[in-house]
Amino acid sequence: MTDATASGLPDARPQGSSSLLQQDALMKRRNAAEARFKFYGIAAISVSLVTLCVMLWTIFSDGVSAFRQASLELTVTLDAERLDPQGDRSLESLSKVTTIGYGNLLTAALNDYMAERNISVEGVSPKQVGEFISRDAPARLRNMVLADPELIGQTIRFGAFASGRIDGYMKGRVTMASAALDSNITPEQLQLADRLIEAGVLKSAFNWRFLTNPDASDQRPESAGLGIAIIGSLYMMFLVAIMVLPIGVAASIYLEEFAPKNKWTDIIEVNISNLAAVPSIVYGILGLAIFINFAKLPASAPIVGALVLTLMTLPTIIIATRASLRAVPPSIRDAALGVGASKMQTVFHHVLPLAAPGIMTGTILGLASALGETAPLLLIGMVAFVANYPSSPLEGGFFDPATALPVQVYSWASRSDPAFIERSSGAIIVLLAFLLVMNILAIVLRRRFERRW
Amino acid sequence: MNDMRIVERDVNTQKAKITARGVQVHYGTTHALKDVNVDILANTVTAFIGPSGCGKSTFLRCLNRMNDTVASARVSGEILIDGENIYDKRVDPVQLRAKVGMVFQKPNPFPKSIYDNVAYGPKIHGMTRNKAELDEIVEKALRKAALWNEAKDRLNSPGTGLSGGQQQRLCIARAIATAPEVLLMDEPCSALDPIATAQVEELIDELRASFSVVIVTHSMQQAARVSQRTAFFHLGNLVEYGETGTIFTNPSDPRTESYISGRIG
Repeated sequence: MTDATASGLPDARPQGSSSLLQQDALMKRRNAAEARFKFYGIAAISVSLVTLCVMLWTIFSDGVSAFRQASLELTVTLDAERLDPQGDRSLESLSKVTTIGYGNLLTAALNDYMAERNISVEGVSPKQVGEFISRDAPARLRNMVLADPELIGQTIRFGAFASGRIDGYMKGRVTMASAALDSNITPEQLQLADRLIEAGVLKSAFNWRFLTNPDASDQRPESAGLGIAIIGSLYMMFLVAIMVLPIGVAASIYLEEFAPKNKWTDIIEVNISNLAAVPSIVYGILGLAIFINFAKLPASAPIVGALVLTLMTLPTIIIATRASLRAVPPSIRDAALGVGASKMQTVFHHVLPLAAPGIMTGTILGLASALGETAPLLLIGMVAFVANYPSSPLEGGFFDPATALPVQVYSWASRSDPAFIERSSGAIIVLLAFLLVMNILAIVLRRRFERRW
Repeated sequence: MNDMRIVERDVNTQKAKITARGVQVHYGTTHALKDVNVDILANTVTAFIGPSGCGKSTFLRCLNRMNDTVASARVSGEILIDGENIYDKRVDPVQLRAKVGMVFQKPNPFPKSIYDNVAYGPKIHGMTRNKAELDEIVEKALRKAALWNEAKDRLNSPGTGLSGGQQQRLCIARAIATAPEVLLMDEPCSALDPIATAQVEELIDELRASFSVVIVTHSMQQAARVSQRTAFFHLGNLVEYGETGTIFTNPSDPRTESYISGRIG
């Protein structure tokens, strides 16, 4: 068609070697560059893999032990005279006996057991034997008795948690050498612990209460659990999901498919991208100012946390959703419009179903990042010590104080007792397990609903 | 050009189905279509030919207002279908597109079953009251598109699983299922092999009985084979419009002659 002119041809290729069997200098340089680039890539991946392995190894080596707990299997006689001095079994008189009274019972039970079996270590007083038992145990025994006064006078088997130091000794965290320097425990007590382990009364077992118990004070790390944090995180994820999905998807569809392209939509678009990059703690301050100080919602409540996390996740979800809407081939829109579908029918019948897997994945990954978010929750008070479980959602549980998993990790990590550091790593394992489940869900959804065109 | 076969045609003097007067299209600052005046006849295949970027597809997309979806496009002038200006403010393009169907360059079936592909248009336009009627429309459309024999046993399998030629015939079936009066085809065979092309061309000739067909094509042989009237576009101008036989054997404009004989384009 067009006139071919000889002048349009390039000059002949400079020839280093005429043989194809021999690489010329330029070819060698190009191959070397390629080999170098491959090496950089492999090196980068290796570095990240090693880092990941080190991180996981640290967390697991520190944290797996949090799921095990030493406890003492005791035979306790619930002495009626001590627990019910008035003898009328009324709740009023029963509750006059404090946990100290129950503590004495447990101490006596352990000392009796040792006397029976002839276990003793020189230099360990009966009171020091009592220190083996967690401060959590008397409270639990008291609650048991108050719930069922019939137990008084009976002899029952009671599994009492061992104190944090004894637990630490069984896990290798506390040693004879460290005990010598520790005012809370003596090496003699540890020798006694060895004898009790031999006797089979001191045992270590999987600890479900790490997953169900509420947080506990500094003095009894052994009874601290993730119960409230898990409930709080689940409540928040539920609320975030039901708020962020409709708002995010509606906003994306409008911006992507309906909005005119003008100055205003440009400004909105730029601001959405900017919001996605705003540090999360800023959203915490916003939540504090708007939801707590202005709207007077209760502090520490999952509803406030969820609102803040929704605001924080929205830009990410909108960006992901718009990307997956844009990835739907325009020919599908043409096809639908061509047979006379309205704009809305085109979007809802054809574009949205094709974009759905992408939207789902984006949403789940957004939720996963919200699940791991700590900073904004600190500002709205979810770091507070919460001892009571929030009630069920139907009874206004979203407004009850709760904490969240990452916040629990943070607050345990900042306590002094090494037993809390172990629990902090344990909480990270739980958090990672949740994230893993969500990411697997995202992958499964994508595989399941992905359609080809 | 020797193999060009100009079949005898019954060029009857019918009234114009589509009348375009002074149509101008701008894409932003580009003047894509300059003052096009044309009368497209009913029950006729009209071919638009011309080099790439000459505005033939742009004009085709004006006829069912698909250009509305391009944000930068501005259309002026008037296009009358059966005497009604489709760019009138009162005209809803969605309703217009039910009357003016379109088949695209690349086969673009919905990622749904063959049946759903064809049934989609009739469903959204409320053309049927029950499943039996819908079944009938689907069967008719597939028969008309010469796909029924191949597809009747696999109506529930995905339309995207068909071969390229079958997909394009499925798209034609989808377009004619809404009972349009005009069928626009934007290079419908450019993604097809010669055998599939021959099937589609045969189909186009049959469709002429029920619709006016407007086809954009790059292949002059195809224009000569299927159309009764041909319009030649060049650089946004409608250069020449007339009976296909005349255009190909005795063009009046030197630009048409150069293009037909392969010297420009």
